[in-house]
Amino acid sequence: MTNSPTLTPDNRTGRYAVWLLVLLAVPTGVGLLLDAHITVMTQSMLYVLAVVVGAYVLPAAASMACAVLAVVGLNFFFVPPRWTFAVDSQEHLVALVVMMVVALVISQLSQRLRRNTALARLHARRAEQLQTLASQLSLCTDAAAAARAGARHVAQAFDGPTVLALQSDGQLSGVDAATEITPSMQDGLRAAMREAAVLGPGTGRWPGLNAWYLPLGSGQQMYGAVCVQNIEASDDAGREHAQALSALLAQALERLRLGREMAMANERNTRQQLQNTFLAAVSHDLRTPLAAMVGNASSLLTQRDKMTTDEQATLLDGIVLSATHLSRLTENTLQLVQLANSDQPLALDWESMEEIAGACVARHRQAGGETRLRLHLAAGLPLVRVNAVLIAQLLDNLLDNALKYSEDAVDLKVRVYNGHMQILVQDRGPVIPKELQTQIFEPYSRGDRSGKQGAGLGLALCRAIVLAHGGRISLRARQAGGNSFRVCLPLSVEPSLAPSGDAP
Amino acid sequence: MSLQVLVVEDDRSIREMMRQALSLEGFTVRTAVSLSEAGSMVENATPDLMLLDLGLPDGDGAALLQRVRLTHNFPVLVVSARHQEAQKVQLLDAGADDYLVKPFSVAELLARIRVALRHRGTTVAAAVTRHTLDGLEIDLEARSVHLAGAALHLTPTEFNLLARLVRSAGKVVTHRQLLLDVWGAEFVDHTHYLRLYMGQLRAKLERNPAEPRHLLTEVGVGYRLATV
Repeated sequence: MTNSPTLTPDNRTGRYAVWLLVLLAVPTGVGLLLDAHITVMTQSMLYVLAVVVGAYVLPAAASMACAVLAVVGLNFFFVPPRWTFAVDSQEHLVALVVMMVVALVISQLSQRLRRNTALARLHARRAEQLQTLASQLSLCTDAAAAARAGARHVAQAFDGPTVLALQSDGQLSGVDAATEITPSMQDGLRAAMREAAVLGPGTGRWPGLNAWYLPLGSGQQMYGAVCVQNIEASDDAGREHAQALSALLAQALERLRLGREMAMANERNTRQQLQNTFLAAVSHDLRTPLAAMVGNASSLLTQRDKMTTDEQATLLDGIVLSATHLSRLTENTLQLVQLANSDQPLALDWESMEEIAGACVARHRQAGGETRLRLHLAAGLPLVRVNAVLIAQLLDNLLDNALKYSEDAVDLKVRVYNGHMQILVQDRGPVIPKELQTQIFEPYSRGDRSGKQGAGLGLALCRAIVLAHGGRISLRARQAGGNSFRVCLPLSVEPSLAPSGDAP
Repeated sequence: MSLQVLVVEDDRSIREMMRQALSLEGFTVRTAVSLSEAGSMVENATPDLMLLDLGLPDGDGAALLQRVRLTHNFPVLVVSARHQEAQKVQLLDAGADDYLVKPFSVAELLARIRVALRHRGTTVAAAVTRHTLDGLEIDLEARSVHLAGAALHLTPTEFNLLARLVRSAGKVVTHRQLLLDVWGAEFVDHTHYLRLYMGQLRAKLERNPAEPRHLLTEVGVGYRLATV
């Protein structure tokens, strides 16, 4: 952990020298002041006190010096003969030696205590850092964010420069774009990943480096590697901490990868299920027209000579109708699959609802000689930004559906309502019960409407088309009987015509 | 001497259906199953009309059409499936005359061929300058439009737009072609101009603008002036 603004070595030496001076001057001064009242024994206690304080505030060498100088000072200032380094009595000599031993032991013990305290603090800080990183990683939802958090913590944990690189498509790149990875660092990172082991001083591998290289990941799956520079070979605890950080980050990356894979698998699964529903339903809907076609064609083949021309014409008509129905079913299926699986935005253009609705109605009248269709367009409809082909398909499906289930007239109404383009398709057929009114737009949950060939898929496509345009589709029962399908499409601001001096 | 039709279609059953239907109508039919084969057939003997299927095995019909259009003027009808919408419009813009969407009936096929041949004929026909149908009379040289005997007043832009449709009466004209010919190249993306002016034209020419008799909409492709 980096210390906040550190002192320069010169500064530090000066400060320790001052401390040393003060620590020795204070007991000496006090002793000289209280000379008349205290014995050499008490005086030595004052010096021992100074040594204890020194041991606590000074680094190892200075505190040893403090211990030695305290004994020398006691000898010089207080042990008779005073003001000399000589010692008279045996007893005083023994006392001085004992004091020297005591002072040195105290200094040593305090030093060790200080070291252990510092180490304990470092361990605590590192443990706390691991915890912080773990909780941050648990909140990350993508690998890039996790890697950034990891890189931040590794940089905080060590004094020297650190680099965290991730691997994608065989390329190693730093977490932030500013990170520069030198070729030699690149080699180290790759080697750590290849061997799935820590390299560098103290690891037994590549001891000549001045950096540790730590892999992110395990043998099966490597995400990248970390490089910590300017480290000491003996700093086992530091290396273990770097490994713990790397392991934590690797776990998070693994978790994210598995999460991604699981989500993808789920999506595949859902899509598969949808496709199965789809296939089952499509094949169900294909059977009816196919059966009609095969039946009509084979009876024409075998019994043609016994039939009137009118009977033959009816059978042929049936074949054409069924085939047309099949072809629409195929179109709808393809379009629905395309809308469901396409990430492409729709191709939109300014279109006129008058034109699209008019073209659809005309087609229905031509094809089926349909006279039951009634078109009501509000005057002065604005242009809409839509995909005309899809909107035409939407109208075709809604009209088909309404004509199929109703014996009476079918109304297609287009108007602006509540700031939306509203399209209504209304029939007088059997009312679809309330509980089926939303379900009917699901692919193939056809409300059983008299067992005719259903537009189950058609309505699902209608919903998909409306949603792709940012609109809404709903179904309501009409008050006097029948159903009303309503589509709301958003209106955009219509571009104005450039003034072209083209007055009508 | 009967008219020659070249059918370019890789699906055997559809190819045979077209061959039979056209032969019954008195056309001489030749068939090709790929673009390269069609290309060499056009080189050897120029047909009077070509039916070109999109989605042939050996590539893009647009390339063949461009090559053909450099030296020939015979009508080309594009045959497409619904999902080939964009490709179809691209070919119409590149000089195809009209299109058919699968599945189509024989009646539709013959009607489209008749319109295409009437336009081009086997010789260079005089440009269409008059159009009459159901009480609508348009005379491009006199710049006049009458509806049920009464003169209609059109703005210059409305008239130019109508004139462009008259020159191709009965055939589809794409949005892009109309914008290009009536407004100019810098306006090809201004589709809202076209929509608004067509709306104005319908309001003036049609008895019921919502269900037009003359100015027919081909959704997603363009417009067609009705001739029948």
